[in-house]
Amino acid sequence: MQISIKNLYKNYQLNGLEVPAIRGIDLTIKKGEFSAIAGPSGSGKTTLLNIIGGLDRPTAGEIRVGNDDLNKLNQKELSDLRLHRIGFIFQAYNLIPVLTALENVEYVLLLQGVLKEERTTRSTRILEEVGLGEYINRFPKELSGGQQQRVAVARAIVSEPEIILADEPTANLDQKTGALLLDLMHDLNHKKNITFLFSTHDQMVMEKARRLVYLTDGTSNSDTFRGHGHFKDNKIKKKSKKKSN
Amino acid sequence: MKNREIVLKLAWRNVWRNKRRTILTLLTIIVGCSVILFQNAVAKGGHDRMIEDAAATNTGHIQIHEKGYWDNRTIDYAFQPENKLINALKNDERISGYTLRVHAEGLLSFKNSTAGTMIQGVDPVTEKSVSNLHSKILKGGRYLLPGDRNSIIMGMTLAKNIGANVGDTISMISQGFDGSIAAERLTVVGLFNAGNQEYDQGMIIMPISQAEETFSMMGYIHSIALRLRSSSDTGVVRGNIKKHIDNKIIEVLGWEELMPEMVQFIVMDDVNAYIFDFILFMIVAFGILNTIHMSIFERMREFGIMLSIGTAPRQVMGMVLCESLIITILGIIGGLGLGYAVCYYFYVNPLDFSGYANEMAVLSINMLVVPADASMLNGIVTAMVTLILCLLFSVFPARKAAKLNPIDAIRHL
Ligand SMILES: Nc1ncnc2c1ncn2[C@@H]1O[C@H](COP(=O)(O)OP(=O)(O)O)[C@@H](O)[C@H]1O
Ligand SMILES: [Mg+2]
Repeated sequence: MQISIKNLYKNYQLNGLEVPAIRGIDLTIKKGEFSAIAGPSGSGKTTLLNIIGGLDRPTAGEIRVGNDDLNKLNQKELSDLRLHRIGFIFQAYNLIPVLTALENVEYVLLLQGVLKEERTTRSTRILEEVGLGEYINRFPKELSGGQQQRVAVARAIVSEPEIILADEPTANLDQKTGALLLDLMHDLNHKKNITFLFSTHDQMVMEKARRLVYLTDGTSNSDTFRGHGHFKDNKIKKKSKKKSN
Repeated sequence: MKNREIVLKLAWRNVWRNKRRTILTLLTIIVGCSVILFQNAVAKGGHDRMIEDAAATNTGHIQIHEKGYWDNRTIDYAFQPENKLINALKNDERISGYTLRVHAEGLLSFKNSTAGTMIQGVDPVTEKSVSNLHSKILKGGRYLLPGDRNSIIMGMTLAKNIGANVGDTISMISQGFDGSIAAERLTVVGLFNAGNQEYDQGMIIMPISQAEETFSMMGYIHSIALRLRSSSDTGVVRGNIKKHIDNKIIEVLGWEELMPEMVQFIVMDDVNAYIFDFILFMIVAFGILNTIHMSIFERMREFGIMLSIGTAPRQVMGMVLCESLIITILGIIGGLGLGYAVCYYFYVNPLDFSGYANEMAVLSINMLVVPADASMLNGIVTAMVTLILCLLFSVFPARKAAKLNPIDAIRHL
C-alpha cells in the first residue's frame, strides 16, 4: 500500500479571495517510510496532511490511499477511511478529556467493533510499548504533555493503520521530550514497519526523519532521502507551471 | 450496540464535567417541573372542589328530567320514572345516591311581606344522599323529617327578607301541575345557609309528599338528582342511564350542562394555567438549549478530534443528545419528586383561603379550602412535554456539533 499524490492544488476562500495553500505537489509515500514534511509556517504542511487524511478535499489533483481515489469517496467513506486506515496525531490536546489513557486508546477499537477483551489487551499492550504502562488509568489532565502525546501515538497505532499522519507532534513539547517522542515513533516504525508522515519546522525533528520533503509556498522544492546519518539529494521536482487563480 | 455503550459513557462523564452548570440546569428543570405540576394540581384540586361543592349543595352530578325541563323550568315538564330506570340507578355502583324532586315557583307572604320563591319538594331521607343542605341548617332549626307534611326549610336570606323565623307559618301561592291554584300554609322548621346566593335568597324545601299534593302532581316528578362517587364518572354513568330510558322523552344532563357557568370559569382558568405552563416550559427548554450550546462551544476542538479519528457524525449527535437527555431525565425525576411531595403536603394540608372569604365571595367563589390534587396524568404530561421540548431544543446544537468541519473545529483552540 502506498500513498500517491499527483499535481495537487488547494485554494482557500478568504474574504472572497482565493488563497493558494498548495500549488502543484507530486508525492509518493511508500509503506514503511519515516518521512517529514518540513517548511516554514504557512507553507502548506497542515493542508497537505489534512488532504492525505481525507479531512479536506483538494481543489485539483489526485490523491490515492492504496487503491482508493479520495476524490471519489463520500464523507461517510472518508470517515471510515480515517477510522480504519489512517492514524492522526495532532499538535496537542489530542485526547478525549473524559476518557482515561486506556479508554482513549480503546475508543478507536470500539468504533471499529473490536470485542472488549481484545480491545483491552491490545490497548494495554500498546500503552506499555509507548512506556505508559503505569498510567493507563489516568485521565489526560493527569498526564504531562509528552505523556499525552504518547497516548496519542498509542491511539494512532493501535488499530494498525496504513499510515500515521502527525502534524507537528512535538511543537508543544520541550526539546528533550520532543526528541524522546520522535525516538518512540522511529522505534515503532522500525519494529512494526508502520508508515509515518509528520510535519515539522523543528530542525531536530527534521534530522531524525529518513526522508525530508521541504515545502515553501505550497510547493515542494526539495525531497531528500537519508540513509544513516546524512541526507542525500534524490530528486528535486520543480513545477514551474502555475495554476491560474 | 457497543457504540451505544461508549456514547452513553462519554455523555454521562461530559454531563458532570461542568458540575456547577449542570446543577444549575438541573435546578431549572426541577423547579420548572415541580411548579408546573403543583400549579396544575392546585387548579385540578380547586376545580374538583368547585364541582363537588356545587354538586353537593343541591345540583348533583347528573339530573334526569322530562325532555325540555332544563331549558324551560316550568311545572309542566314532569314525568313518571319507570322502574327500569330506578333499578338501573340502584344497581350502578358509581352512583352514591339519587333522589326524586318536585320543582315549582311561587309567591310567599308573611305578615306584610311577599317574596318570589323556588320551591323544591324532596324526600327527607334520600335527599341526604345527594345534597348536603341538611348539614347547613342554622342553629335553632332542623332539617325535614320523614312524616313531615306542612313543614319547610328556607334560605336564611329569604327568611330575613320577609321577616320569618323558625316556627312561623307563612302562606304560599302557586300554580298546580293540572293548572289549578295551589295554595298552602307552611311552617318554617329550619333555615339554611347554603353558601350559594341563589338558594339562600330564594329557595324553600318541603317534603315531596306534601309537594305532590299541593301541586297536584299525581305521582309525577320533575327531576331525579344523582350524586356520584367520583365526578369523573359523569360521562360513563350518563351514557349508561341513557340505555335505560326513552331518549325522546327523557333528558339526562351532566354537571357540565347543569352548570355551564362553572365550566366556562374552569376553561378560562385552565387557559391561564396553560399560558403560565407554557412560559415555564420555555424557560426550562431555553435553559437546556443554553447549557448544551455552551458545552458544545467549549468542546469544539474535542469534537474535531473525535470526527478526525473516525467517529461518525451521528455518534457525535447521539452523544450530545444523550447529554441533554441525561440532564433532562434527572431534572424530570427531581422535578416530579419535589412536585409530588409538595402536592402531597398541600393535599393533606389544603391551601386555606378562608382569610380571603369576603374577596372570594365577590367573585362568587365559595370554595375556601383547596387541596393540591396531582394526578398521575398531570405528572406524565409534565414529564413528556419537558422531555420532548428539551430534546427538540437540543437537536439544533447537537446537529451543529455533528456537522462541524473537523479541520475548523481542531483549529478552534
Ligand atoms: N481554512 C483556511 N482558510 C483560509 N486560508 C487557509 C486556511 N487554512 C490554511 N490557510 C492558508 O493556507 C496556507 C497554508 O496553511 P497551512 O497548511 O496551515 O500551513 P502550515 O501548516 O505549513 O503552517 C497559509 O497561507 C494559510 O493561511
Ligand atoms: Mg500547520
